[in-house]
Amino acid sequence: MDMSQPPGEAHRPDADGRAAIEISRVSKQFHDGEGGVVEAIRSTSLDIAEGDFVAIVGPSGCGKSTLLNMLGGFDSPSSGQILVDGKAIAGPDIQRGMVFQDYALFPWLSVLDNVTFGLKKSHSRSEARDEAMKWLELVGLKDFARKQPKHLSGGMKQRVAIARTFATDPRVILMDEPFGALDALTRRFLQQQLLKIWREHRKTVVFITHSVQEAVYLANRVVIMTARPGRIKLDEKIELAHPRKVTDPAFRDTEARIFEALDEELAKTFSLETSDGHAD
Amino acid sequence: MPDDTKASALPAGEGTLVSTARDRATKASKGTASAVAPYLFALFAVGVIWQVAIAVLDPPSTILPSPVSVAGTFFEELFSGELIVNAAVSLTRVTSAWLISALIGIPLGVLIARSRAAERLIDPIIELFRPISPLAWIPLAILWFGIGEAGKVFIIFIATFFPIVLNTVDGIKRVDPVLLRAGQVLGCTNQVELFLRVMLPAAIPSILVGLRVSFGTGWAAIIAAELVAANSGLGYLIADGMEILRSDLVMVGMIAIGIIGVLVDAIFKLVANRVG
Repeated sequence: MDMSQPPGEAHRPDADGRAAIEISRVSKQFHDGEGGVVEAIRSTSLDIAEGDFVAIVGPSGCGKSTLLNMLGGFDSPSSGQILVDGKAIAGPDIQRGMVFQDYALFPWLSVLDNVTFGLKKSHSRSEARDEAMKWLELVGLKDFARKQPKHLSGGMKQRVAIARTFATDPRVILMDEPFGALDALTRRFLQQQLLKIWREHRKTVVFITHSVQEAVYLANRVVIMTARPGRIKLDEKIELAHPRKVTDPAFRDTEARIFEALDEELAKTFSLETSDGHAD
Repeated sequence: MPDDTKASALPAGEGTLVSTARDRATKASKGTASAVAPYLFALFAVGVIWQVAIAVLDPPSTILPSPVSVAGTFFEELFSGELIVNAAVSLTRVTSAWLISALIGIPLGVLIARSRAAERLIDPIIELFRPISPLAWIPLAILWFGIGEAGKVFIIFIATFFPIVLNTVDGIKRVDPVLLRAGQVLGCTNQVELFLRVMLPAAIPSILVGLRVSFGTGWAAIIAAELVAANSGLGYLIADGMEILRSDLVMVGMIAIGIIGVLVDAIFKLVANRVG
């Protein structure tokens, strides 16, 4: 994990169309702290191609966050393996950027210093500043560079976090329900901004959400995960042209199809919870 | 820091700077006034109750001197320079003990917070020693360090050490794990780097609280430290006043301790606000 070398061309995926991320037969069990074992994910395989925008949707407790944590390198599979560009994940890495639901901005740093945080090793001070300002401008927060994060709204904080992650030019961007805590209007605005940036930069994005509409609006591939233990229930390519309209009949059809698959899972989760005698 | 928000609402031009400066000045003085007012009121209220007590009980002045005579002694001591010299001596003792506590306590707190083994080993020791008042250490301090400065600094060190350690432990332990994750995916590749760039800065507010509280406990322990064989300091002023039956002098020492305590605390809060 040598950070000193910039994300070089040598790392680029081969022309044979090899997947950027290969998840093969990954299972994950946790100890529940009472002597029992919880099976979060069971034998899940998923290949994600370079430049894909994959949204993973599922009922809560379906292991989608577990999967993302493993992709981030914060957790490792109990069995099976995850390869990124053909290499096993050895831990968190700047090549796999992450956007968190609760922003995770460093409160002691200004907006600008938050964005330059990941650029310190690969850029000179002035280069880092210029790069950070470029990204802040892209998310419309150039004028807030000197502010402390506590003076920003939730939506603005998440835009800073997005700028901070994209600025480091990672190979893969992992997003863990990034807009989950935002109001509907802010959410819509950020979705549009994210989409614009993604279409310009074509990063591989893995996006966790519990909103089917958000998934269909953003992604070119939607993956539905089943209730615990998590497995892949549906893997659907979204071919709708951008800009997508939620009122478009084709959009609604896709959404309906995904909802149908999801509803079956919700019913299972529900019966599981009632038979367990307790909910999450 | 709360700058441009106000300025942007005003028309640009010559007047802008002047009016914001004035605006800021009135805001600041209003802030200071509203912060100081309760203390002045408290002093006034205590003075009134005190004066009434004198009028009703009419005690001899060695037992309870009047507020006026205490105020007289206060200004006498202040203008003669006695009070300032003694306060400076006491402040120096507390500051040096407090700095030593910080130098030892912050790294120790970090160690306890980061290492399970260190916590198991050191935590019980700290818990055992923490309830022992600095007063109890006076005999040992004299035996070990004699009657010079070192013994006094040692007693204040005991009083300042624990709040620093405990707040540091707390600050490090409470660092939001998501910030550590963010640090890791933003290029902190080892624990040292993660500590210096994320964990420590995140814990600074809590460490500052520890430093502020400990200066307060150290300042309160100044009497204990200067009770024995001191010939300067506010504690000495009080002990001396007692010996020569000058209760007005005793009270002047007490009042000075109170005022300086409040002032130092206010400075710490100001610094903490800047940093936080």
